[in-house]
Amino acid sequence: MKMVAQPVLEVHNVVKTYGGVHALKKVSISLIPGEVHCLAGENGSGKSTLIKIISGVEKPDSGTITIGGKERSQLTPNEAIRSGVQVIYQDFSLFPNLTAAENIAMLSELADGRKLSSRKRIYADADQIVTELGLKIDLGADVGSLSVADRQLVAICRALVGEAKVLIMDEPTTALTHTEIDRLFTIVRRLQERGVAVMFVSHKLDEVLQISQHLTILRNGELVETGPSSDYTRRSIAKAMTGREVSEDRLLEPLDANAPLLLEVKNLTRSGDFTNIDLSLRRGEILGITGLLGSGRSEIAEAIFGIRPAESGEVIVAGQAHKIGSIRDAVKAGIGYVPEDRLTQGLFLDISIADNMVASSLDSYRTRFGLLDRVRIRKSIADLFKRLRIQAPNVTAFVRSLSGGNAQRVVLAKWLDRQPSILVLNGPTVGVDIGSKEEILAILREQAAAGMGIIIISDDIPELVSSCHRVLIVHEGRIASELVGDDIHTDEISKRLAA
Amino acid sequence: MSDPSRGPLTEINQQVETAFTAALERIHVGRGVGRMALLLVVTFIFFAILRPGIFLSQVNLQNIGLVAPEIGLLSLAVMIAMLTGGIDLSVVAIANGTAITVSTLYTSVLNSQGQGAADSMTPLILLAGVAVGVALGAINGVLVSVVGITPILATLGTWQLYNGLALVWTGGITVSGAPSGLMSMGSAAVLGIPVLLIILIVAAVALGVLINRTAIGRKIALQGANPVASKFSGISARSTLMMTYATSGLLSAVAGLIFLSRSSSASADYGSSYVLLVIVIVVLGGTNPNGGFATVLGVILAALTLQVLSSGFTAMRLSAYQYAIAQGVILVGVMVLDQMRFKTRKRRPGTNSEEQGAIAEAETK
Amino acid sequence: MKTALGRLRGANNEGLLVAVIVVVVVAMSIASPAFLTPGTFFALVRSSMVPLVFALGVMLIMISGGIDVSFPAIAIFAAYTTMRWSIDGNLDLGLVLVFVIAMVVGGLLGLFNGVVIARFRLPTLIVTLGTQTIYKGILLTYIGSLYISAGELPKSVTKLSDAHLWDVPGGGYLHSMVIPVVLVTVLIAWMLRWTVFGRSIYAIGGDEEAARRVGIRVVRTQVWLYTLVGALAAFGGMVFVILGKNANPQSIVGTELDIIAAVVLGGASIFGGRGSVVGTVLGVVLVQLINNNLVLVGIPSTWQRAAVGMLLLLGVTAQALGHVRSRKRPVIVKKEVEA
Repeated sequence: MKMVAQPVLEVHNVVKTYGGVHALKKVSISLIPGEVHCLAGENGSGKSTLIKIISGVEKPDSGTITIGGKERSQLTPNEAIRSGVQVIYQDFSLFPNLTAAENIAMLSELADGRKLSSRKRIYADADQIVTELGLKIDLGADVGSLSVADRQLVAICRALVGEAKVLIMDEPTTALTHTEIDRLFTIVRRLQERGVAVMFVSHKLDEVLQISQHLTILRNGELVETGPSSDYTRRSIAKAMTGREVSEDRLLEPLDANAPLLLEVKNLTRSGDFTNIDLSLRRGEILGITGLLGSGRSEIAEAIFGIRPAESGEVIVAGQAHKIGSIRDAVKAGIGYVPEDRLTQGLFLDISIADNMVASSLDSYRTRFGLLDRVRIRKSIADLFKRLRIQAPNVTAFVRSLSGGNAQRVVLAKWLDRQPSILVLNGPTVGVDIGSKEEILAILREQAAAGMGIIIISDDIPELVSSCHRVLIVHEGRIASELVGDDIHTDEISKRLAA
Repeated sequence: MSDPSRGPLTEINQQVETAFTAALERIHVGRGVGRMALLLVVTFIFFAILRPGIFLSQVNLQNIGLVAPEIGLLSLAVMIAMLTGGIDLSVVAIANGTAITVSTLYTSVLNSQGQGAADSMTPLILLAGVAVGVALGAINGVLVSVVGITPILATLGTWQLYNGLALVWTGGITVSGAPSGLMSMGSAAVLGIPVLLIILIVAAVALGVLINRTAIGRKIALQGANPVASKFSGISARSTLMMTYATSGLLSAVAGLIFLSRSSSASADYGSSYVLLVIVIVVLGGTNPNGGFATVLGVILAALTLQVLSSGFTAMRLSAYQYAIAQGVILVGVMVLDQMRFKTRKRRPGTNSEEQGAIAEAETK
Repeated sequence: MKTALGRLRGANNEGLLVAVIVVVVVAMSIASPAFLTPGTFFALVRSSMVPLVFALGVMLIMISGGIDVSFPAIAIFAAYTTMRWSIDGNLDLGLVLVFVIAMVVGGLLGLFNGVVIARFRLPTLIVTLGTQTIYKGILLTYIGSLYISAGELPKSVTKLSDAHLWDVPGGGYLHSMVIPVVLVTVLIAWMLRWTVFGRSIYAIGGDEEAARRVGIRVVRTQVWLYTLVGALAAFGGMVFVILGKNANPQSIVGTELDIIAAVVLGGASIFGGRGSVVGTVLGVVLVQLINNNLVLVGIPSTWQRAAVGMLLLLGVTAQALGHVRSRKRPVIVKKEVEA
């Protein structure tokens, strides 16, 4: 019989509202030492709020947190840290201008209340934890010069030097490659051996099943399911997360074989990122590009849009060769791009929806005198607002106040106003609620039917299945295989990805 | 009827409070303009009450109208730089540069070819002066957009450099001599309104049109609001920043012409106390120092308010130092108040607490 | 991996700065034989003392991610006020007390800066522009605007003004104030490297939000920092008064640009998180070198301001270009292509 250990952290019936919106509705969770507990849920499910409450950054409206044997109604960040709760945020919260050793040791230096700082002691402390975990990090290097994976390791070491009892990792695998994820999981297992309770927050279902022993699924601020991970499959988790059965249908009309070529990419190469990429895109076609993180799939899109131009190769748009050396070149060639990081790269948060929508197409509204044709602008904006069914009080609302799905529609609107011949979307439905997701894909299919060429970079397999005419699978910087038409289905894609 | 404990007095009290809060809300929410208009009126009335004899005199009011334009233009110059999230500390130096250029050119033509030639060449001379200003602004633009120096340091350096070169050129003394046309403009008035003020208004309107109604103007605002998203939207950082600093140079140049028209002399160190004053005005006028938002009307009202304040202080026999203290207090006070409002506003759902941006309530016109 | 050349260059390009200084010295020696004399050297030391103290303060603030332009106002406010009080009160308080009072006054002014900036998270340049005017205005309006000459200064102060550590035969001398200045410099270097407070300043400059999360009391640290810098500025103001043997309330304010130029040249990053005492010392030396000796080399002194402006632009350009070249793209993806 398995002995159930005493939970090191218990959250009981916490409720949190932000100005009338329920972020958490009576959620409870228990973390057991030595166990990996995964918190799964889509964006907006309340995951982040729960973490903030556990780490003391936010205070719950009601409910209790029991840690270190003491039951409390709220925590301060310092109390949480002193009780052994450490959070590793998605951005790691490291100091790029200080060395790895200093970053690692800083937490404990502060916790000990030291006034003097000794470089020798810092190096010794850092070295100790690094060796204990069996890692190799250049302790003297400035963290700003380390790779993302190494930075994450530094963040983990830092949490452990502080004698963490509970380690919360927020979407830790977002920026890691396949190998690095494996290494991370090895470390997580070592942490388990040390008796640390690990809370792994993720929406990546395969990883969730691989690493965790216990699972809690949140949806719309409510706890919908909790139980041992062995009781779940990808499908059942997805269903619990989204509240509906994930469709496996293809929703596309087959493409006209005689459709003209919009885009031809030949021998595109960027050393270290991708090699000899050939691809083509026809009018009205939706091409999906997928691959594991680190395979080069995003880099190819970034090269086509001029963010990180290729070193060699040709890009031919509508029969004309273009040298894409910058984003401006790409935009002039008729290519648009909906970025992955919508908040920083895609939107002007503190500016109205209306102004965001015309941000790329301002030049086209110029009248003879150089002024902008405001009537035409207003009309376009109203038109897009309606067409894309944006949920907002009106067009003057700031984008900052919009949900993920609506914000993404604004980004889409911006490019639709410009009417590029080719639209590249990188992770178009990441962080978007299920309803918006379906609508966005429907809009893309509509645009394709109207003649736009669309490229979707995604690791969301149902999305690829439902909306792509063809799917390319990228592996280690090269196009490994191609699926066409009815060959595109979930199992086949998963199989080829894992190959 | 309603609750017996609510007498008519309570009702009135309630109504007044609602109206007052609404008025306050409108003033605060319309960041810049509403607040500025109120402030201008209040300040004016304040001094009018305290020293009606001196303050409301024709001389005093005219004076406000005469000094405000040069400061107003310089403020507009800094405003557009701030709109892109930068700053332009070299505006006064550029203005002096223009003034010195025009004065020197005029005097040399006067001495070599006589009054007639000098008068007929005046337009050309003025143009040359303005061109110098625009060129100096363009250098700022190049440093910021091509070389990639942050605007504070770039314009700090050019401030020094331009000021230093002007010192060398003038040998540290004031150069005198200005086109007569320019000087007469300095004291002329149309329908009682000084021509200089009209110039300011025209410039302000033109700038407002540029920012709100032209493609490049909108791009400048977007560039300031989020440079990354701007790049990803296909907006050229280089063109927007070049345009910004060239415009700033142009406005400073016109300010320089006004310097000259008022005193018929130019010096390298004129207006050195203006740099702080102009920043106070720009911030008071609702410009977001982090970029993305600015209103021309707010800045103009702020400029007028500070001129009223200055003349009010003079009317009350307060020293220039006390005026300086007031400027500092206003600057710090306004920013503190803005920040306090921002903080209470931040408690909204969906706000990413990692975004440490300042408010930028763009108004769709 | 630190290569030998990399280590020579120093973390903030200090090595490069030394090279530039050497080049300038050589160039000036060639241009004018009168340059390479002990007199020039000692004049350089003397003229660098006050700017160095100020530059250290500016450097500290810059490392924390801010810019302070109010330090000259604090300096003269503190020094002048202390002198005024002791003269008006007819008290010769003695050197130690004079310094203490001045530094307390400076600390209080710095405290105000710190509270406003840290508590309300305001842009530092603009706030300190504001406080600079406020302090200067208050000084000139309410404390006094009269020039205090050597004759009026307390005896303990003037005695120090005349105290030379070493008189070099053939011109030039080493003023005894050099000792406190060097001590302060060393102290600050020690603080930055060996105390948690110092490391916290770097941390805050590196990433303020991360500093908060890690448990650094950011607001408290910043307030202490500005208070410290205020006291430091006051110290500099007293040194200025002692060296000049007079107290002029209109002085010091206006020299900000030279100091900021020196700090930036010395490698401090305006974005925060980087800066060193060594670099700042070198930056001050370079600016003073140019300022003092242009005349010797045949360039009229009216060129001074333009020269410093040019220097600042060149230094900042070099920083900007070097930053672009060496900026490592955040390596999001491991290069696994060469399989």
